[in-house]
Amino acid sequence: MPAAYDAIVIGGGHNGLVCASYLARAGRRVLVLERRERVGGAALSEQVFPGFTFSVYSYVVSLLRPEIIRDLELARHGLHILPLESTLTPLPNGDYLAQWSDHDQNRRELARHSLRDAEAYDEFGVLMHEMSRAVKPMLGMTPPDPGSLAPRDLIGLARLGAHFRSLGARKFNALSKLLTMSAADYLDEWFETEALKGTKSASGIIGTLAGPRSPGTAYVLLHHYMGEIDGVFRAWGFARGGNGSVSAAIASAARAFGADIRTSAPVERVLIEGGRAVGAVLHGGEEVRARLVVSGADPRRTFLNLLGAEHLPGEFVEAIRRFRFRGASGKVNLALDALPEFSCLPGAGPHLRGAISVSPSVDYLERAYDEAKYGEFSRRPYMDIVIPSMIDPAMAPPGKHVMSIFAQYAPYHLNGGWTDARREAFGDAVIDTLAEYAPNLKSVILHRQVITPADIEHAIGLTEGNIFQGELSLQQMFFLRPVPAWAKYRTPVSGLYQCGSGTHPGGGVMGAPGRLAALTILRDIA
Amino acid sequence: MSAHGSVVIGTGVNELVCAHYLARAGRRVLVLEQHTQPEGQAPGWVPPDIVRSLGLDQCGLQIERRDPWAAVPLAGGGRLELWHDMARSVEAIGRLSAADAAKWPAFCERMGRVVRLLEALYTAAPPAPINRERGELARLAALAWRARRLGRQTIEDFLRAAPMPVADLLEDWFENDALKAALGAAGIAHLCQGPRSGGTAFAFLHHHTGSALGVFRPPRSNIAHVLTALPGVELRRSAAVARIAVREGRVTGVVLANGEEIATALVVSGADPRRTLTQWVDGGWLDPELARAVRHIRSRGVVAQVILTLARPPDFTTLTVASSLDAIERAYDDAKYGRVSRSPCLEVRNIGADAEGRHRVEVDIQYVPYALADGAWDEARGAALGELVLKLLAPHIPHLRGALIDQRVISPRDLEAAYGYPKGQAHHAELALDQALWMRPVAGLADYRTPVTGLYLCGPGTHPGAGIAGASGVNAARRILEDSR
Repeated sequence: MPAAYDAIVIGGGHNGLVCASYLARAGRRVLVLERRERVGGAALSEQVFPGFTFSVYSYVVSLLRPEIIRDLELARHGLHILPLESTLTPLPNGDYLAQWSDHDQNRRELARHSLRDAEAYDEFGVLMHEMSRAVKPMLGMTPPDPGSLAPRDLIGLARLGAHFRSLGARKFNALSKLLTMSAADYLDEWFETEALKGTKSASGIIGTLAGPRSPGTAYVLLHHYMGEIDGVFRAWGFARGGNGSVSAAIASAARAFGADIRTSAPVERVLIEGGRAVGAVLHGGEEVRARLVVSGADPRRTFLNLLGAEHLPGEFVEAIRRFRFRGASGKVNLALDALPEFSCLPGAGPHLRGAISVSPSVDYLERAYDEAKYGEFSRRPYMDIVIPSMIDPAMAPPGKHVMSIFAQYAPYHLNGGWTDARREAFGDAVIDTLAEYAPNLKSVILHRQVITPADIEHAIGLTEGNIFQGELSLQQMFFLRPVPAWAKYRTPVSGLYQCGSGTHPGGGVMGAPGRLAALTILRDIA
Repeated sequence: MSAHGSVVIGTGVNELVCAHYLARAGRRVLVLEQHTQPEGQAPGWVPPDIVRSLGLDQCGLQIERRDPWAAVPLAGGGRLELWHDMARSVEAIGRLSAADAAKWPAFCERMGRVVRLLEALYTAAPPAPINRERGELARLAALAWRARRLGRQTIEDFLRAAPMPVADLLEDWFENDALKAALGAAGIAHLCQGPRSGGTAFAFLHHHTGSALGVFRPPRSNIAHVLTALPGVELRRSAAVARIAVREGRVTGVVLANGEEIATALVVSGADPRRTLTQWVDGGWLDPELARAVRHIRSRGVVAQVILTLARPPDFTTLTVASSLDAIERAYDDAKYGRVSRSPCLEVRNIGADAEGRHRVEVDIQYVPYALADGAWDEARGAALGELVLKLLAPHIPHLRGALIDQRVISPRDLEAAYGYPKGQAHHAELALDQALWMRPVAGLADYRTPVTGLYLCGPGTHPGAGIAGASGVNAARRILEDSR
């Protein structure tokens, strides 16, 4: 039977859709198979409560690669990003630290806490921009394999070497430190304001079961400077209509290029014939054939569930089992009757249009981690909060609001396991902690949805609820992601490719793995 | 004022090795003693190259290899003992976990191969990845080639392991808590990090260099004594340095605390880089960015020592008191917030008897932070720490209190005062990835040179650092001799 499709993409998350779009754009016949009734994966908007729309899982956009927005003409397909202008860190003493996108305003606010930090801030910003520029080319390239002697890899390594050497000693050394230090130590070299260090180091621990004092967490600081919206560095934003709009726009682009998308089509396993991936078998037994199969699922799901260890070399299976997930974060989505009132900054000011970060100090984050290390959720968690209805009023009924709380740490491996009661207890810990800063919070909650890593795994299939499809730690990045020698989207099974966040350069709604996988496939089948 | 060829500051192993290498190259060398040196044997691998070129084996160098190299008390009584003999270790581990015993030889083999790579890196000056000299590129290429010859898996193991927490590395392989604790303790030695902190797998590998296959404790040797007795350099006792005199960017001499100035154009300092470059040399000679980096060198001491004198010997040669990785991690949690660990990790060494039959037992206690969150170190704290150690050791040394003749507590502050360890940190600069290789002690000073012409660094704060006896000294001496050619 001849294959009806050139490629089947398993999973209609944003990376699967990006991959499908690029393949279809090159004239390939592509079918996307999505298990759920809607595409989007973790980039999903849903009316969880009538009238209240939530970005249920991922909730901000910034790292989505500009070349993807351009190539797929996502603006034409309805993607509209609204910028987040500020970050407010409320403090236990009733004060606050605000970071504004307006440079002078930001400087005045910082100077209120520390003149020295206000001075250092600009210099720090310049260095981070330089570092972002130094790292960016790596996000857009397929990682060369340092263990290979193939000309393509040797050329790739030589190019990478030339790139680093071109940075010059000062930038190269700064980058080496950034890659190997802890967020806390790195920030200690620059700043003295605890709230500033706490809030900045928080970006180093997002999605990872590590504390801000653990070496290797400094690198992720860069992510806050790497965001790019309409070519403007450093901006974080919302997609109008929630993060589901990102997926919807990419899906629309994919269809426009001629890709087929089937929802409610759960894949049970990859079809293997003669050692080659030749299609997918759906739940219920239906077989769909194609010249090749691309999996957007995470590495463990792809290789151990959809494929099966028997089709793979033993060492590869070992390496996949070693790949670490350890989901560490949960979400609380609230439907609010009115705006929360922060005692440090009362009223519905512009601060409610930005992010609110509960991260008063590095020690606060570290203590939150201490509990998670031994299998408990943080009783006083780190939180990153946004109120999307402040920027996009269509998210909630008039006068009402939706609030998204990203909370950490909630370890997947909870002592005794996650139950309904533990989930609600975690939700209570989040609300109780936030209510210390916004006393009216409890009285304005209409509905709440609490999501644990176990829920994330169950609902959207991310192993252990890891939001990046695998920890973004140095030992799982670049040519080590997900497994050394197999970091180039190919797999030991011919005809089978990976395109999810479990591959380079990882998660964060970047879309880069989907694009790079598609480019690899197109080269292979040219 | 007296004139001298070269002046080496410090009488540590690196300083003496550097001095002797310079002397053998025809220099007249004066070594100035800053501090007394720690009693007993020095820990660390002595690279064979140093033994050979200084003829140390003819001068009575003794490298001691404890067997078992580690012993961990088990919760249900008895100990897990790990030996130089692979089969014996496998047997011991097998009594606790058949799966772990089966993996032990492969683990040792894999780590051993990764360490060959480190040994190649450590017996030369650190690679300078963006140095534009042609020679440096050639050296990098040679290193890459050497790495390749160790095989693909070794390169992957190294790249993957270096940034990892040692806990993750060990959990990849083993299930038994005592075994993981025995190994994990080697990954956090003298580090202000816990086994779940990134980069501790690197430290674990670092301390494995030069050891036999399957031995994860550095050897100890009498190299310090041998070097002190070695003729060829002039040694001046109790000659504390006050400052290093610099004129027009060049070293002109060393000024001692007693006011005497020794004129010299070459000074090699084994003291920690911060002290050398910010206290002894006028800060104006460093550019502000480098000065900032030097001020930020992390050297947080976390180890205290207790020396016990006993009437009877304990029934072990070495003992690691740590029940699991989590137990070590919890000990670190206290230190993270500036408290002495309530249940610290202990490394105990039975040194042996003196002429009067009194037995000396040395205990390294981790974590005892130098900087305490709640006040200063005082006698009461010292007494409490001594008491804690006795309490923790009592189950492992029968009739301990009855046999106790003397107990001496040495806090990180005492270590600083006695041996010049900055903030009590024996490694001078913590052995973290961001303070290793071309970033040790900081980027820009890794080639042993300083911005002051004629002033060099050679202590454990430079590449490859503590735990490799004399390697920094040799590398520094080679740099100096190259520069003066």
